[in-house]
Amino acid sequence: MKNFREIELLSSYLDEQLNASESKRLETRIAADPELASVLKDLRDTRGILRKLPARKAPRNFTLTRQMVGLKPPLPRAYPVFKFSTAFAAILLVLTFAANSIVPRIGMGAAAPAYGYGMGGGGGDGTAMQEAATEAPAAAEMFVATEAPSADAPFAEMQPAPSTDNGTLREGEQAPKDVAPESALQNQAPAQNEAPIPFTWQIILLAVILLSGLAMWIIQKSASRKWQ
Amino acid sequence: MDETSLIQSAQKGDLDAFNTLILHYQDTVFNTALRILGDDDMAEDAAQEAFISAFRSISSFRGGSFKAWIMRTVTNACYDELRRQKRRPTTPLEPETSDGEEMDSPKWMADPNMTPSEKSEADELEHAIQHCLEALPTDFRTVVVLADIQGMDYTEVAAASKVPLGTIKSRLARARLRLRECLRGFEELLPASFRLEGENTL
Repeated sequence: MKNFREIELLSSYLDEQLNASESKRLETRIAADPELASVLKDLRDTRGILRKLPARKAPRNFTLTRQMVGLKPPLPRAYPVFKFSTAFAAILLVLTFAANSIVPRIGMGAAAPAYGYGMGGGGGDGTAMQEAATEAPAAAEMFVATEAPSADAPFAEMQPAPSTDNGTLREGEQAPKDVAPESALQNQAPAQNEAPIPFTWQIILLAVILLSGLAMWIIQKSASRKWQ
Repeated sequence: MDETSLIQSAQKGDLDAFNTLILHYQDTVFNTALRILGDDDMAEDAAQEAFISAFRSISSFRGGSFKAWIMRTVTNACYDELRRQKRRPTTPLEPETSDGEEMDSPKWMADPNMTPSEKSEADELEHAIQHCLEALPTDFRTVVVLADIQGMDYTEVAAASKVPLGTIKSRLARARLRLRECLRGFEELLPASFRLEGENTL
């Protein structure tokens, strides 16, 4: 039984993969060793049988179509412009929606402590309510003066809040003081809910998106028709 | 148009140029897939997949033997197909007799241009060789198919299989040894000129 190294050498010799000196040495050994010669013949016959295996013709053509390889038709130079404008307008539209929903909330958030303080909110017990009742006019004054000066300035001038310095308040004077902050808040609410980016701009952006998208679709269709 | 120009055009996205290359190599690719997979349908699928994959990655071809490069693609496609087959075993391709047994002779694959006796001989031989090829481990089978059936040289086989030259030599020697043993079982089917000698030579 020949070792595998010898068989590997014979196999390489068969395929003329040995250099001249290796081949010469092996040939000498083959001539002297009939067993080695017999193995070589077997390997040669095996290779011969494999080479005799009939080559089949391909059962069909394997040529590729553009669809098979996902090739897209060449698009005109204007196409990227429409693509960019659609994407850009879409991003802007999203940003306008985001701005319109976030900015008023930020305004509300900043005003929230004044609301709570002025309206006596946040406290649950009677003490807190009493404190609120006594502090409310001053707080309301502050709120009116800082939050909506333009809207409430005439009102504040016409009805200046009475000072609490005198310590006691008459019953009849309580009502105007309570009404003043509430009406100020009511007047203020529409100003805060007003969207920072006008609705018209959103319509314009939407129109840009739709028109660019339509242009892209038409370009694609026309390119595909020409391609076919 | 020569092969280099066709390859260059294909690298620029010219599908017609690549299709010309396909027409030139499709028989070789299909036969390689058929001998590795041993199934016509699977070989067809693998060949088609190989060509699609080759077109998509033709930009990565950096010269050298295009045949070796395309053979590497088909070899990979065959390995993928074999892995898929392992995951989802299918029914054998060979037709069954009325008793539900597989037909011994693949006469149903015969070439209509041959005489009945030639057909019979060729079928028997092909069946025997294919049987022995399928008994080899996939790596050995690939090397022997590329080197002995497709007639590629060692360098091309190494490039196609992505293994070192030394490994190719070793695998080929082992594969031939195993095939010799296997074919000995089909001695009566082999043409007289190819009858293998003595049983205890090795």
